[in-house]
Amino acid sequence: MNGPIRRLALGLFASMAALLIAVTWFQVFRADALKNDPRNARPALSERGKERGLIVTNDGTVLARSDEDPNDALTFVRTYPEGPAFAHVVGYSSFLLGNTGLEQTYSQDLRSRRDITISDLVAVILGRDLRPSSIEVTIDAELQKAAFAALAGRRGAVVALDPNTGAVLASVSSPSFDPEALIGDDADAAWNALLEAEGSPLSDRATRELYAPGSTFKTVVAAAGIDTGFVGPESVFPDPVAFPLPGSEATISNYGGRVCADGETVTLLRAFVVSCNTTFANLAIQLGAADLGITAEALGFNRELEFAWQIPPAQFNIGELEDDPAALGQSGIGERDVRAAPLHMAMIAATIANGGQLYSPYLVSRVFDADGNTVETTEPVPLGRAMAPTTASIMTQMMERVVTEGTGTSASVAGVRVAGKTGTAQGSGEFPHPWFIGFAPVENPTIALAVFLEGGPDLGETATGGGLAAPIASTLIDIWLSGEQ
Amino acid sequence: MTRKAEGFTILLASALAAFGVTLVNFANSGTLDAQSALTFLVFAIAFGALFVATQTWAPRASSLLIAPVAALTAIGFLEIYRLDPARAGLQRWWLLIAAAVAGSVLYLLHLGSTEILRRYRYTILLVSVILLLLPNLPSDWGFPLRGLEVNGSRLWVVFDAGLTPFSLQFQPAELAKLGLVIFVAAYLADHQHALRQAHRQVGPFRLPEPRQLLPLLITWGLSVFILISQRDLGASLLLFASFVLLLYAATGGGGYLVSGGLMTLLAGFAGYYAFDHVQRRVAGWLQPFENFEDAGYQISQGLFALGSGSLSGAGPGLGRPDLIPNAATDFIFAAVGEELGFAGTVAVLALYGLIMAVGLGIAFRSRDTFRKLLAAGLTFVLGVQTFLIIGGVLRLVPLTGITLPFMSYGGSALVGNLVLVAILLRISHEEAK
Repeated sequence: MNGPIRRLALGLFASMAALLIAVTWFQVFRADALKNDPRNARPALSERGKERGLIVTNDGTVLARSDEDPNDALTFVRTYPEGPAFAHVVGYSSFLLGNTGLEQTYSQDLRSRRDITISDLVAVILGRDLRPSSIEVTIDAELQKAAFAALAGRRGAVVALDPNTGAVLASVSSPSFDPEALIGDDADAAWNALLEAEGSPLSDRATRELYAPGSTFKTVVAAAGIDTGFVGPESVFPDPVAFPLPGSEATISNYGGRVCADGETVTLLRAFVVSCNTTFANLAIQLGAADLGITAEALGFNRELEFAWQIPPAQFNIGELEDDPAALGQSGIGERDVRAAPLHMAMIAATIANGGQLYSPYLVSRVFDADGNTVETTEPVPLGRAMAPTTASIMTQMMERVVTEGTGTSASVAGVRVAGKTGTAQGSGEFPHPWFIGFAPVENPTIALAVFLEGGPDLGETATGGGLAAPIASTLIDIWLSGEQ
Repeated sequence: MTRKAEGFTILLASALAAFGVTLVNFANSGTLDAQSALTFLVFAIAFGALFVATQTWAPRASSLLIAPVAALTAIGFLEIYRLDPARAGLQRWWLLIAAAVAGSVLYLLHLGSTEILRRYRYTILLVSVILLLLPNLPSDWGFPLRGLEVNGSRLWVVFDAGLTPFSLQFQPAELAKLGLVIFVAAYLADHQHALRQAHRQVGPFRLPEPRQLLPLLITWGLSVFILISQRDLGASLLLFASFVLLLYAATGGGGYLVSGGLMTLLAGFAGYYAFDHVQRRVAGWLQPFENFEDAGYQISQGLFALGSGSLSGAGPGLGRPDLIPNAATDFIFAAVGEELGFAGTVAVLALYGLIMAVGLGIAFRSRDTFRKLLAAGLTFVLGVQTFLIIGGVLRLVPLTGITLPFMSYGGSALVGNLVLVAILLRISHEEAK
């Protein structure tokens, strides 16, 4: 009888060995993967109540800080003094919802290394600094607040860039939310309420949502035509009431169903200034998807771009458009399947402003330690030349004419030369999206921006970029340039 | 181990429980209170009493059993305390009760030796089957003894005669499993010759006579009944597996293992197709992360706990085992893994290994067939139960929701398992030269 028992004993100990192997697998080999699984709430929970570093602007405006909890020594409460205007950029650090925005991207710098364990003691002995670092953002507090105020609760976004570096001067998405509502014990309820809320305040329309760019995309088509030497500002196009799309029954007509000049011919310049759809549909088809695509991709379309967080690539589907001239014609006026985020359209304005160089946009200028010493500085990252300097210069002249005598006159600022392009995108919805992209001052641009409003019943069916978006650009350029002096 | 060393190790285990409680308190509030002293006292009294009872009524018993059991109870207790101090307070009372019951069992066996277990085997069987079926009592009738369904399984019995301000709840399966092992060991000791010789040679296989398969079929039927009516995968599997293992131990007939395994698979497949809750269990087992929102949530949280614990653990009171559903019962092993780390889980596995080695050693050395089978059977019950629940947490087998011996929160389990240890101690005393 001891024989069978011995064999069973072997089986029992083999089972115990299997348990030992399995626990080794999970606690040794898979430990990091399990610990860092996004569904594992433990890392975020362990951050609860710990001090985090500051998020400040370069003029010292505090966007996020940790205050000691008056009721509980040794624990800290995160506050966001500037609230909703900065919420999508700064994000929040919530023990229930995790971190978002810069709070997430720079979490490793912002978090305290203090653990209340023996490792603290070891670190102190080794002379390591356990205090959190802080970050300085490129955002201009006044401009950001002005942009948020200008959107006035309507659904939309404003992105402003330094055209010479790619530094983000403002990135606003509206409507917004109060980040402090999402960091407490009732964060789940507040989050669910925001998910249901009118205008989906949690979505970041400035950088993470794609929209049809409408006529602002004519900057890309014009730049492609000029850069390839195919056309110049004085090139002449037919001026019909409606442009028949090849291989289709559909036509493209102009705003208000009018001709763009005398009904016979129109120059490229005139067509650009009055945002002539027939001309640009025609030009896009003549250029072809491949040549148009080269400039579009040089301007960042279809590319995964580095940013503080993952951003969806702007879309210009070259392959599909090559076999479909009708769709290409529609794409030439920024409709059909062309999509870009306001951030991306601001980058296009910035590229024309600086003479044709595309820069990677960035939000953080430096990281500094608890003593204020700079640990890390961000250098501008050029992503390549998108067009020749002469092309950029012609584009600038054309865009200035848009503001002085074309669809964008309400973007003008007294005593300042402003360049821009309006857009009124139909997209896939019922209501048009007003757009404006531009830069100033023309002789030495220090700001490039994109203003976007999401179409809806509140804006109506007759909303236009020139009517609604351009005045916001005017206000912001004025504030920026007067603040600079 | 000398008696002095054993006593000292028991005190050490009590100090371990108290130290764990101190660390948890320190991590949570930074203060010390009477909990540490109370815990030390209760452990020292409970296991000290068991030690003294063994010295008195089974002096030649193995000295290697009480100490590892005390250590496992201490490790489990510190996690229970960390998860729910109120339950830990109850568990301390249960520890005292369990030690008293185990001591009484030692005294009874001292009066009549393990032979009385053999003599009253049919009474024990009857009581065990009744105990097993108690949870099937209606939960809404006038009689003070009622069944109770918790988390979809019907394992509980409530006694509420209105005599006490609270109702008494217990899981009868934890005691019934002992009774069934005792009966089976006695039955097999009686019939082992018949069972061993009755076989048919079919090709290379020695198959048992169909008639001899009858007890196997009856036990299987009982297990399947429990599986269906009480939805208790764990107890059902534990009973059947222990029985098959004992049958094999008694006869050496590999055919029992094969047919037992096939019957388990058959019941498993049938259960899978018949019951949603079995399908959910299997889905949660095979793909815990893909079923994170429902069936896989508990296992995923358990694995997160183990991974977060890593090598050295977060420290008592510093992890978040409270994120695991039922951490104090089914998932106490994951809670230990999170706060005491790989070091803690390996220590726990080593202690179980030691207890099993001691139990099997007692079985090997026993000359009397009944005592040999009883010692082996009790050890198998302990081993299979440990494997099923830890294996469930570690995804080696589907999760079956039974308690981890000595460590999980639960009074009936603690009583049952300390009685099991008491019987093993008695057998080792009787078989010592």
